[in-house]
Amino acid sequence: MAERPEDLNLPNAVITRIIKEALPDGVNISKEARSAISRAASVFVLYATSCANNFAMKGKRKTLNASDVLSAMEEMEFQRFITPLKEALEAYRREQKGKKEASEQKKKDKDKKTDSEEQDKSRDEDNDEDEERLEEEEQNEEEEVDN
Amino acid sequence: MAAAAGSGAPREEEGPGGDAAAPQPQAPTSVPGARLSRLPLARVKALVKADPDVTLAGQEAIFILARAAELFVETIAKDAYCCAQQGKRKTLQRRDLDNAIEAVDEFAFLEGTLD
Repeated sequence: MAERPEDLNLPNAVITRIIKEALPDGVNISKEARSAISRAASVFVLYATSCANNFAMKGKRKTLNASDVLSAMEEMEFQRFITPLKEALEAYRREQKGKKEASEQKKKDKDKKTDSEEQDKSRDEDNDEDEERLEEEEQNEEEEVDN
Repeated sequence: MAAAAGSGAPREEEGPGGDAAAPQPQAPTSVPGARLSRLPLARVKALVKADPDVTLAGQEAIFILARAAELFVETIAKDAYCCAQQGKRKTLQRRDLDNAIEAVDEFAFLEGTLD
């Protein structure tokens, strides 16, 4: 199944949504324009990947990391993306950390059936997927550690 | 092709699948907590892997690329809209995009790639 890079388009629905939210209400976009933007986004990712990979290779690393991508943005003259991307990265790291702790906590909760209140709390929070839950999770985790 | 979208790491189970792979009955793009990135990381990862020089890419790198692509879409849509506005049109056309690409230096890498 040979897929050329140009065929790897991002989902139209998501692209359309991003475009609509970026533009004022009442503004439409033609199918051709939307499809072109979608393709442009794919090209952007490919180009950014290539740039980022250069940085990784310079650092003698085989794995692309976040800072490689940020350096690529700078090289591509998209400095204005760097701050929002750094913020997004922070939030992403917190979310990943929260998830990891949540799954570890679930295991602990299964073993100890003592503090049932905290159990319910963490399960409810899990269902919500809100960022707020991260703070609660941290509190819970601290309490668990005391035990 | 689309089936591959759901076969990523567990972190993607709440991701905006867009394709039927997502188990949630909700609308494909409205997933709470996924405000961090709306583009499916699996698709971005596929694009990254398409580069023969790339060996591996970390999760964070994929995520940032997805977010950067979103920012890029917003940016280019807005720039193209400026052209449409000048023509007093309310629908963005392909030519608005072409104009934006020619006018804005950062979009130079797109020249010749969209045909």
